[in-house]
Amino acid sequence: MLEWVLTAIVRALAVSTPLLWASLGEIYAERSGVINLGVEGMMILGALSAFVVAQVTGYPVAGLLAAAAAGGLAALLHAFVSVTLRANQYVSGLALTMLGLGLAGVLGRGWEGTPLLNTLPEISWLTYMGLLLAAGLWLVLHHTRMGMVIRSTGESPAAADALGVNVYLVRYLCVVFGGVLAGVAGGFLSVAYRPSWTEGMTAGLGWIAIAITIFAGWDPLRAVAGAFLFGALFHLSFRLQAWIQPEALRMMPFAFTILVLAATAGRRRGQGAPEALGLPYASGER
Amino acid sequence: MRWLTILVVLVLAGSLAAPGIAQQKLKAGFVYVGPIGDYGWTHAHDFARKIAEKKLPWLETLYVEKVPEGQTESFIDKLIQQGARVIFTTSFGFMDGTLAAAKRYPNQIFAHASGFKRAPNVATYMADFYQVYYLNGLMAGAVTKSGKIGYVGAFPIPEVKRHIGAFALGARAVNPKATVHVRWIYEWFSPTAAKEATEALIAEGADVFAFTEDSPTVVQVAAKRGLPSFGHYSPMHKFAPKHMVSGQLVHWDKIYVDFLSKVYAGKYTAENLANVDYWWLLAEGAAELGGDFGMPINPEWAGRMQAVKVGTPDLGRLSVYDLVMKRLAQMSDPKVTFEPFTGPIKDRKGVLRVQSGKRMTVGELNTMEWAAPGVVGPWPKEP
Repeated sequence: MLEWVLTAIVRALAVSTPLLWASLGEIYAERSGVINLGVEGMMILGALSAFVVAQVTGYPVAGLLAAAAAGGLAALLHAFVSVTLRANQYVSGLALTMLGLGLAGVLGRGWEGTPLLNTLPEISWLTYMGLLLAAGLWLVLHHTRMGMVIRSTGESPAAADALGVNVYLVRYLCVVFGGVLAGVAGGFLSVAYRPSWTEGMTAGLGWIAIAITIFAGWDPLRAVAGAFLFGALFHLSFRLQAWIQPEALRMMPFAFTILVLAATAGRRRGQGAPEALGLPYASGER
Repeated sequence: MRWLTILVVLVLAGSLAAPGIAQQKLKAGFVYVGPIGDYGWTHAHDFARKIAEKKLPWLETLYVEKVPEGQTESFIDKLIQQGARVIFTTSFGFMDGTLAAAKRYPNQIFAHASGFKRAPNVATYMADFYQVYYLNGLMAGAVTKSGKIGYVGAFPIPEVKRHIGAFALGARAVNPKATVHVRWIYEWFSPTAAKEATEALIAEGADVFAFTEDSPTVVQVAAKRGLPSFGHYSPMHKFAPKHMVSGQLVHWDKIYVDFLSKVYAGKYTAENLANVDYWWLLAEGAAELGGDFGMPINPEWAGRMQAVKVGTPDLGRLSVYDLVMKRLAQMSDPKVTFEPFTGPIKDRKGVLRVQSGKRMTVGELNTMEWAAPGVVGPWPKEP
């Protein structure tokens, strides 16, 4: 029994690692007032970059750095379109997802079917670093001036602007930071979790990370719980098949996500979304 | 992404279709359900498309990938606008869309993979693996130590059930106590689901693996734990050179070349396809045993196969290696002197499913829902 529970916990940790990294990044982007629906696209670009660089150099860590850069660059595009050009954030994010998936699919041709020799273990420093990162990001967000600046930029950009905060800069930095973490999340998939490249291998994990962001109430510590819970449900949906109908089990993680969203939908400010989330900001306009 | 990729492909395909040569050339369009980079089903079809194009100088091909099953018709429309005369639709779910499009384009030729509905201008074709699965089962029965064989299944449909059934029959022919533990992922392509399903099976004690999912995930996960596995669809040997025992490989190109040649020669027209069904197996060369082309059994495992001896009613006592090779030869023979689904076979509940001495028909195989003895785990729609 103990062994049964232990393996389930280990598996839950492995599945939750990319989800946690991606949702921590999304939390910071959204806290600054920019919603980025491009997580899936940034993740897949990260996955491809990590795989290619790890394959060429032989170092998975170099791959992860490339993934961070790819995710960051993709996010920069979203920041430019949504912060500078003030285009619709939802549309821009969706476009980024489509662009990322398509681009990675085309560029990745020729890399499918190549096994990666040097890989990272699944439960590795990336897992532990994700947990530490969550704690650190929580501290920064709630107990430092920097965190206050980020939060106020997301709640009331005009007020922050009036107090001398460079709203554009804060939003740019947070969005790019989010992209870097999403890139690493994708890199984890291709150099550790499932060390190989296949088109579309993120398979919706980016969307789940966005759901976890909402589930967590935009709080880094609660994102740990959300990611772990989802990882556990995902793994258990296969473990429990011997006893429970598989169709019902496969729906479990997704049904759970919807339930949580429905249950938290009515929550008021403070626990809910940043007030200015999704609204483009122009200095001097109200 | 879907739209972007399709757009790029169509633009490229359009630019390649020079109007002058189009008269003599035969243009064929392929509708794929997955990405051609999936390294499974769609990858294999696309690989075959390229071989056919190389072999047949008069052939031009177009394709669309990641086509949702509900949108079969609109993608067929696009391919026909691009000048395709022959359309191949390569997923069971494209069946009704293909038939509907065929009605609207009575002069075009259609061929649908893995389905059973035909029309004057719609043929069906399938390269099936159940025989190869039986051979893999023989090997799985020989290499398992715990007696628990793990199987990661895509969808509980007759095709997959037939494969698992043949696999279990093979395993039991060598190892009467072996069991095949099945986990369903309800996806054709989902590396994450395949990964966790494999981990779940490992946690439950399975020590050999086979699967139906369009990526090498199961092979990789098993190899990481030092466990043997069997590949599926594409040559996955390189993902686990030490651990992959064998697997199934497909040669859709044999079917495509044959079919297109007959269209080009005027043998197949839009009026005479109602009875054309390719059900091609080992004997026709559409299926191959192995984890890589030309390697039926991984040399790393040959010794182990030779060491395990079994008794058979027709061949006497012999090693599993010899048994696999003999059965392979029997099924590759044009007369097919051995069939895995030959009665008497009872299902796992004890109901007699195949009468003594009878072989299952193609129709029965295509609608098979019962579970073979030794299969353990959920089996939706079990009679």
